[in-house]
Amino acid sequence: MSTKIRRSWLLVPASKADRLAQARQAQADVVVLDLVEFVTEEDKPAARERVRASINALQGCGADIFAQVDPEVLYADVRACVWPGLSGVVMSRLESPEQMIEADTLLRQFEDARGIFPGTLEIVAALETARGNYAAYDICRASPRVSGLTLGRADLIMDLRPEPSGEIHAMPYLMQRLITVAHAAGVTPIGAWWRAPDRGLLATPDNTYQAARRGRAIGFKGSLCLLETQVASLNRGFTPAAEEVQAARQVLAAYQAGTVQGAAATRQGERIIDRGTATQAQRLLALADACAARDQEKAEALTHPPLTIP
Amino acid sequence: MAQRLVRRSGLTMPVVTKRFVDNAWRRGCDYINLDLEDSVPQHLKAHARSLIKEAIPNVSKGGAEVFTRINHDYVLADLEAIVWPGLRRVNYPKAEYGAEIRQLDEIITRLERERGIRPGTVEIGANIETAVGVAYGYEIASASPRVKDFGGASGYDMSRDLGVEMFVGFDQFVYGKGECELIARTLGIEARSAPFVANTTGSVSDPEHAFRTAEAARKCGFRHGGGLNPAVVEPQNRGFTPSDEDVREAHWVLEQYRQLAGSGETWGEVNGRIIDRYEAARARDTLEWAELCAERNREKAEAVARVQAAMAEQTSRASA
Repeated sequence: MSTKIRRSWLLVPASKADRLAQARQAQADVVVLDLVEFVTEEDKPAARERVRASINALQGCGADIFAQVDPEVLYADVRACVWPGLSGVVMSRLESPEQMIEADTLLRQFEDARGIFPGTLEIVAALETARGNYAAYDICRASPRVSGLTLGRADLIMDLRPEPSGEIHAMPYLMQRLITVAHAAGVTPIGAWWRAPDRGLLATPDNTYQAARRGRAIGFKGSLCLLETQVASLNRGFTPAAEEVQAARQVLAAYQAGTVQGAAATRQGERIIDRGTATQAQRLLALADACAARDQEKAEALTHPPLTIP
Repeated sequence: MAQRLVRRSGLTMPVVTKRFVDNAWRRGCDYINLDLEDSVPQHLKAHARSLIKEAIPNVSKGGAEVFTRINHDYVLADLEAIVWPGLRRVNYPKAEYGAEIRQLDEIITRLERERGIRPGTVEIGANIETAVGVAYGYEIASASPRVKDFGGASGYDMSRDLGVEMFVGFDQFVYGKGECELIARTLGIEARSAPFVANTTGSVSDPEHAFRTAEAARKCGFRHGGGLNPAVVEPQNRGFTPSDEDVREAHWVLEQYRQLAGSGETWGEVNGRIIDRYEAARARDTLEWAELCAERNREKAEAVARVQAAMAEQTSRASA
């Protein structure tokens, strides 16, 4: 599984030049240049033309750069996006292993043509339809490029509406399914546990934070979002909180104190601390360190002036 | 997709209970489900079968569609007795394998031919009520083009299969329901589902609960109701029909969406509400559904008026 810290994936319409400067400053772990959801059909040809310049404009801001592409017009979208500086593509509405194989082949072709080391570009599969979700495991296995799975805007594309409980219909099931499949296939589950009135990856900063906390609790590692104002909430929500770090340190200390005396498990208050608990604590501390390193990296990147790429 | 059928309310009744059958046309439901299964005692099964052919025109004279629920274990005998003109759907309980559905399809196809019913008229309702049915859901739902909708994996029989108490305050069937719904959507057939609304009393006749459940289901995009007690028919019809306010709101959303077109934006916010193509699609769906409901209500009202006129004429002739 990818160990990269990618808590916030900010979608930016590829048609909107004015959003790039904001996106640079947004402190997102990933910026996704969108050619699918937030670009009108009329604007798509012009938006494709702009992607290369947008990738260059975002270079050096500290965020990984992805592009969201449409499997129905894949050739045109991939040709527009695959330039040095791109980390990968988000395949919107991906439905079948065949589409994944097609994308894999096409990426390889453009990697060769544009001087990118073969196999570098990643694919995040956005399973936003029933067919895509039903075929999730086979889709993951169809290409070694697959690095993540997300439900994207499935709530809107599958027309899943709020229930009286506040849950979005069928999402608890679909989230669990996606997370299970992603782990089984060794890829990263990307998403957050949104509840009404949140819709289509859009929410207030506070609701975004809550969705990230719930999402992290069931196994998501980071989420897509639409607005710069959501980025900080995702970064914070998917980063272990200070109390968690503190607790993990105590767990490790207690465990180590036990093991030096030859015990397999030890007590800490009401809890039993065994090797599994200790491993979890270690992982949490590693994640916290990696998040802190990522934040520093991005902060430093922003102190440099934008790169000028001819 | 074919025109959506309006099946907001429906009563399942033992065909052997004459009082229920004779009054069925007065109930105002969109369909009547004549039962040969759980509500008919074993010693009356053969008798029950013999009643279906005449019950079909009787229960449908108020405008309701007619379904029959057959027994899992007497498929051939039941189908021979029920596939007659006027029957729209065979409900098959405890479906567990695709082969069962293919067998039903073959028998129905033969009976349609022999009895002058247009091919494909009779739908199959493949009801998932066991864990095995969930496991084989995809092959069941894809086994015949007669399966037009799919769902289940909840309710009385499912809770029995899993050995759990049915009336609790939370959703016990998240996995099975989710799986069946995903299968239906994957196959592009109507997903028959509903959001969870707690019923801890076990009442099947509470109009208030029926209304709340129906309304919640409609707001989630579901349209299919049904029950056992006449008291739930009217609340279900009401709950599954968009209210005047819903219709006004849908018109407003579409108007806002029209204003968005040409702005170069894919979404906007008006009065705290997101306007985009998804909201527009939901609004169009609401308006379309409201139309279909209104048409269905007219159809039923006219059918009932015809029956009443015929009865009045009969009475006046008798007294003359």
